[in-house]
Amino acid sequence: MAGKKLKLQIITPERQVLDKEVDFVALPAYNGEMGVLPGHVQYVAKLNYGVLRYKDDGKEETFAVMGGLAEIENDKISVFAEDAALAGEIDEAAAKQKLAQAKASLSKHDADIDIELAEMEIKKALLMLKVKKQQPKF
Amino acid sequence: MESLRDIRQEIKAIKSTKQMMLTMKMISSARIKKAQQQMEEGRPFAKKMAVMIDNLRKDIQNPSSEIHALPAYRFFDNSSADKNSVALLLITADKGLCGAFNAVALRAALKWVRDNNDKEKYVFVVGKKGRDFMRRLKIPRLHIVGELIGIFPRASYAHAAMIKDNFAELSQKYNISTVDLIYNDFKSMASQTLVSKRFLPFDFDEIPGEEDVSDFIFEPNMMEIFLTLIPRYLSSSIYRYLLESQAAELAARMNAMEAASKNAGEIADNLSVKLNKVRQATITNEITEIVSGANALNN
Repeated sequence: MAGKKLKLQIITPERQVLDKEVDFVALPAYNGEMGVLPGHVQYVAKLNYGVLRYKDDGKEETFAVMGGLAEIENDKISVFAEDAALAGEIDEAAAKQKLAQAKASLSKHDADIDIELAEMEIKKALLMLKVKKQQPKF
Repeated sequence: MESLRDIRQEIKAIKSTKQMMLTMKMISSARIKKAQQQMEEGRPFAKKMAVMIDNLRKDIQNPSSEIHALPAYRFFDNSSADKNSVALLLITADKGLCGAFNAVALRAALKWVRDNNDKEKYVFVVGKKGRDFMRRLKIPRLHIVGELIGIFPRASYAHAAMIKDNFAELSQKYNISTVDLIYNDFKSMASQTLVSKRFLPFDFDEIPGEEDVSDFIFEPNMMEIFLTLIPRYLSSSIYRYLLESQAAELAARMNAMEAASKNAGEIADNLSVKLNKVRQATITNEITEIVSGANALNN
């Protein structure tokens, strides 16, 4: 199996986050985490807010992925997410601050705050923190 | 005849204006690189969304599909919508000093308003110039339903998503049949073209149909995928239009400012020729006076 690799691309509306050959990918699919190895059937999956992991030469990397779609075709995985961040690049302090801010604005019960937006911010910040914690320490 | 002092002052003023225009040109040219890069980076996502929708074409057009019951289906088929209810997305700049950039867009918008004279018109404007123009128009059945000011030159996907949300809500609320779009397309540094076209309902012929439709397994199902796809497709399209307009504005401003500073240079040159003439005339005058005065004394 060593010869076959997956081509993993993570694309957000604003930029291409990742383009890499990897051995294994775990996607935060709609019905639960889904592992993909080379030779996978053609597949389109809706993604949750969640953690994407991939393995490359025994090394594992984690990404925070904010929903979207994944397409698997001919050993090529394209992930189309609203936003994605590499665990190593997540700023823990900033995420915590955002979380606190969003929570504060929710608790204020102001008429003009957007509850959905605040909830999304909370979801996003929590995910960032979760990914950060899961990140293997080298 | 103007005095020397007046002309000197005028030259000074023109030169400082010229400096300002040059600076504005520099700012635009510095920003345009970033704007172009942003456009480049947004392309893969938008393209893929379009291709994926195209892959679903058969399912979407299949008359027995459950998709037809969804509110989002109106973006594909407007037969049930109110033909007397139309919308426009107008993208202009916040600032002037960019040649005909705003003027052509506003002219097209005015034409659109006139063409839809007897219909209920819902307009969403991006950019201060467009908003001010629309507000000044006193035309019956014209409603400004949303505005987005001050996003350039930092337009982001979040802005596009906001516009999309707005339209999705409006099209249900007012049963809108079509959404048109007016913006400036960035062709190259030297040319921007006005685009005035139909945005919704969706035209499958506009999508670059790529490879043959392959059979995919959908998780959790086709409907969910469709529902995930549609908003992302719309947002990324709008995002692209915002970026096109953003780059076009910068390019237009660069060209306009370059032409203007060239003109200012010419005016300054002409003025300094004039200045020299006037100065020479004054000197000649003085010499004549001195000479004639001396002659008068000698006689």
